[in-house]
Amino acid sequence: MPNPPQYALQAPTTTGPAWADWLQLCTGAALLLFMWAHMLLVASVLLGPATMNALAGLLEATGLVQLGGPCIGLLFLVHCVLTARRIPFRQLEQRAIWEHARLLKHRDTWLWLAQVASALVVLVLGVAHMWTVLADLPITAAKSAARVQRWPWTLLYLVLLPMVELHVAIGFYRLGVKWGFISSRRRPLGVKAEKLLLVVCLAIGLLTLLRFLTLSVE
Amino acid sequence: MARNLTFHIFRHNPADPASTPHMDTFVLNETAAMTLFIALNRIREEHDPGLQFDFCCRAGMCGACAMVINGRPGLACHTQTRDLPESITLLPLPFFKLVGDLSVDTGVWFRDMYQRVESWIHTTRAFDPSKREARMANATAEAIYELDRCIECGCCIAACGTARMREDFLGAAALNRVARFRLDPRDERKDADYFHLIGDDTGIFGCMGLLACEDVCPKHLPLQDQLAALRRRMAGTALKHRLPFFRNVRKARPAKA
Ligand code: HEM
Ligand code: SF4
Ligand code: SF4
Ligand code: FES
Repeated sequence: MPNPPQYALQAPTTTGPAWADWLQLCTGAALLLFMWAHMLLVASVLLGPATMNALAGLLEATGLVQLGGPCIGLLFLVHCVLTARRIPFRQLEQRAIWEHARLLKHRDTWLWLAQVASALVVLVLGVAHMWTVLADLPITAAKSAARVQRWPWTLLYLVLLPMVELHVAIGFYRLGVKWGFISSRRRPLGVKAEKLLLVVCLAIGLLTLLRFLTLSVE
Repeated sequence: MARNLTFHIFRHNPADPASTPHMDTFVLNETAAMTLFIALNRIREEHDPGLQFDFCCRAGMCGACAMVINGRPGLACHTQTRDLPESITLLPLPFFKLVGDLSVDTGVWFRDMYQRVESWIHTTRAFDPSKREARMANATAEAIYELDRCIECGCCIAACGTARMREDFLGAAALNRVARFRLDPRDERKDADYFHLIGDDTGIFGCMGLLACEDVCPKHLPLQDQLAALRRRMAGTALKHRLPFFRNVRKARPAKA
């Protein structure tokens, strides 16, 4: 070893990976917030189609839908590109992580695989959903109900909903443990929050879908 | 209540071209307070003198006996058979180089890792053997000791999904080393220096937060909290580097802390 040591207080050599992790945190958190807001807005149909129409009208009159839609799309895209760095695309990696998870029987390792799997479903089905909605503005309860009732959109939503909620709940927990919002001591609490989040969001989502399925399309 | 335990043990000698990896089965009667250390020694004495495995301290202090026990990395000397079902599968730790059967070479990897994270105190102060050692607050010494308890068993690396997918990942043991030197007041390195060592995808930003390291560490090191703190620190270092004001401050400061 050189003596005296040759370390220097220099600037970091490459900050790319650090920025990528920052952005992953920001896009992940922003998408989480959006998904919860989205859930509540759509669930307003449970209070009556008129409520939902009023809310949608408000968002459109203020330009939030026209502006927000593409922004969310961009967030979605950036999030995909960033997290794709972690997805095991090569067969060697796939075999390694699959064998590893099967042998280890470790909850959080399985959850990560669930996150990756749900991500791929959300990517395909989510894009289809965003495309139809944004291509056919304005949003009204009747139009949404008609789509939910039309095959194969019914199936699409029945699959998309649990996959999104799974991805959201795990993502919430993962952000917490990675950045330390959920400390080791509070990890059991974090797990509980994750489960509660999944159940509550899934329940609200299913109720909303059910309402759309039974709503008159006229 | 004596049980008969069935051991399924991985066998392979990479030095022997005729050897092929396979599993061998041995049956032993369980005795009181039996550990896997005792069981493996009995297998070697009573069944197969050629069985390779490592032990040294047999008290959970040296880290030599780590292996995959029914799927989970752990210390064989610290694992009692009464906590396991009747069927016990033993595999060598993955990720590390196989020496033979259950024995792996963790030493070369740890040695290399210590060089990568420069695991020694960096100081510009000249050593004066005639002077008393500088004092350290008791709480600081204890905090450092808490992280120094790592026995280099390699369980956290073997359990890490990230390490399994990319071989150059440093893993929790290495990041814990950095956390330990960050606490040490004698080490003059700043976060910007540590950033050079761990501020990329082979270091802290490669970690996906699967927490298997935290869950298998036989010494219960606080790995999760160390990883999160390092992530925040290193991410903060990158952020500050972007701020022109801060950059000037850094350049102006003399190299000594
Ligand atoms: C519904 C919108 C989405 C939300 C709310 C969301 C949220 C999150 C959050 C909070 C995380 C944790 C981030 C981290 O660990 O730093 C995450 C991780 C991840 N997301 Fe998403 N995401 C969404 C859509 C997608 C899509 C469409 C993909 C498709 C590629 C995707 C792929 C991933 C992957 C692979 C991870 C794991 C990354 C890792 O472990 O480093 N997500 N997501
Ligand atoms: S938390 Fe990070 S270091 Fe620990 S097992 Fe997971 S990916 Fe590996
Ligand atoms: S951190 Fe724990 S699991 Fe990892 S090498 Fe050290 S003692 Fe073993
Ligand atoms: S023999 Fe030393 S830790 Fe098990």
